[in-house]
Amino acid sequence: MLAATAATAHADTCTGVTDEGAKFETCFDLGNRVSVTAGSDGFGGGIQLRQLVKFDDDPDLNWKLEHDFATLERASLKGEVDAAVYNGRFLRHTRDGHIVLPGMGTPRKVFLPFDIGAVVEAGRVTVRNDMASGNRIQVGMIKTAPVVDLWRSRDFRRRLVFGPVARWDIGLSRDPVAISRHIVAPFSMGMASFHLESHDGLLAFDVGVEGGSAWTSDRKWTPLVQGSASIERIVLAINERPIALLVGIKYDSEFNETIARVGARIVLFHVADSRVAHL
Amino acid sequence: MRLSSSLIGAAIAVLGCASAWADGQVPMMDHEKPVSCARDTKGKVWRIQCDQAAKVCLYAANDELDSEGDRVKPLERARDCAFDAPVDRVKLEADGFTFLPARADAPWGWTRDERGRVFQVNFDLHNRIYFGAGYTPRYILDNPFQSKRTSIDFGFLSFDVLDGPTRHRFRFVQGQVHMEPFSAEMVLAHYDVSHRFTDPLLRITTFVGEPQRHDLRLNLGMWDEAGGLELHRTERGNAQLWKHASAAITLDLWQSANLDSYVRLRTGLGLEGQHDDVQGYHSALTASSALEIDTVLDHAGFHNLRFEFVHELPHYFTQIGDNTGKFATRLRARVQYEAIVLAINDQPVSLKIAAGGEKRDDIPGIPNQWAFVADAGLRFSLWAPPRSRL
Repeated sequence: MLAATAATAHADTCTGVTDEGAKFETCFDLGNRVSVTAGSDGFGGGIQLRQLVKFDDDPDLNWKLEHDFATLERASLKGEVDAAVYNGRFLRHTRDGHIVLPGMGTPRKVFLPFDIGAVVEAGRVTVRNDMASGNRIQVGMIKTAPVVDLWRSRDFRRRLVFGPVARWDIGLSRDPVAISRHIVAPFSMGMASFHLESHDGLLAFDVGVEGGSAWTSDRKWTPLVQGSASIERIVLAINERPIALLVGIKYDSEFNETIARVGARIVLFHVADSRVAHL
Repeated sequence: MRLSSSLIGAAIAVLGCASAWADGQVPMMDHEKPVSCARDTKGKVWRIQCDQAAKVCLYAANDELDSEGDRVKPLERARDCAFDAPVDRVKLEADGFTFLPARADAPWGWTRDERGRVFQVNFDLHNRIYFGAGYTPRYILDNPFQSKRTSIDFGFLSFDVLDGPTRHRFRFVQGQVHMEPFSAEMVLAHYDVSHRFTDPLLRITTFVGEPQRHDLRLNLGMWDEAGGLELHRTERGNAQLWKHASAAITLDLWQSANLDSYVRLRTGLGLEGQHDDVQGYHSALTASSALEIDTVLDHAGFHNLRFEFVHELPHYFTQIGDNTGKFATRLRARVQYEAIVLAINDQPVSLKIAAGGEKRDDIPGIPNQWAFVADAGLRFSLWAPPRSRL
């Protein structure tokens, strides 16, 4: 009876207690981990880091920095690859958003109801082997977007961002490997991204859309659309290392493909949620 | 608490006159000097800063105000104020002090509006992440005006480290991409360092008239880049120029006090490889020299000017063509002016205007004559903290 009472008492603090008195994590930080994935579309993995930068002299301001390093989204048995060297999301959260107009005299401040930031991607590699998608390699040299976050939050658990996208991709042909074309979008595309995590970090939901016109060196201006949606649900943990079920779908007009996915993510290393009592 | 009722009355009157502050004439407290805090009879806290020499005391609410003059939240970026020194307005006025409504203090690089809201008014564009888009028409002497050319530019991370008389400059993943016709250039990593030597290399004393000493300093530095890439698409196919690594010695002809502005010469060597559809791959050792100017024109960092004139001489290890042989020449000049036009959530949006010219004979399909380019666009920068106060 005492143990049961203790378990209930600790549940809100993200630390569970067994009947024997052993503690275990019930909340997880989805942004600080090294994980591998395996699913219907192939295997993958990556490193994720989150930084929350605070300022002593301005407690209403923080920077939310999310970094994804060496992300292998999927590598299939057919030799198809989706990977990125670096993905970054930087959001500057303030209690009051505003715009400053320098003007000719005293600068003026006009308030706006959103946070701002940027999304950056470097070194994306996409490899396709089937003839329908062109049997080619595409390297995303850089992609960046200034964004506004309409669903402002001091933490990483939610965001709803919009922004114009600038990107430069290189298409490579095989045998011999040579540049076959360039794809450039000078902020002529737009993106929207929605992210929501449950308070305990057991459930995460992501939706992203990117579309617009891009200049290609062979077809000139062409419409491009990408979209994705995914759900991640942590269902168990082994030695405090969470294992999650993944369900997702992705569409890309560039490769004329729609890929659905069911799989699992196994976290190899992670930083314990700050609300978890020291085990 | 000995804050007199007259102060309370004056302070409340200030709330009623908040709209009158919009003219920007309301004085501002000095962030570097102590600020006292006092509580009125309603429990509201006021900030007070007295100048003993001028016999003036400035006072302001210790909270941000809404449009109605009501207090809504604590001040941001205001220095701590102490309650331990009681403020007696009657005594101070008897001693000749004048009390004036004011804006609360804000740190260097920031200011406050009439409602106490803080915002940044000084920006260091050497410390930032930026990306922008521009209109970049190009004029080639014997070709028609190419009016569809647009461009994007980006700098993933730029930051300077000022360490006493030394400034280290780091730039990562910087570049620009032009369309119609396509060209792109990018540098993965750049590092250069400027140093101010306190001991002169030569001390020249003149004895014509009053003896005078003239110091000649040799402010040497270093300049390095790695992972440079240029891509060109011409009528004769694609060409890629990989600038694997370059190193140079710099001589600062002029330095600003905090070393963020300079005029300098540099010369050095680099190793590069070029691949094009006509001549295949060939490597070169490239000697380069340049005159560079990078200067911040105003104290607040709103106006920035850059100029460079670069001369490069690739020396190929093998002969690559009848015309080029083992040597090629690249000349490039570019001037760029960047001015901040507004800031969104204290992150600046700047207007970039640039012009440049290039003459080169190393890439098949690019005519060996001067081609000129103009560039006007907008950049959005993240971070951009206030400049150093030096």
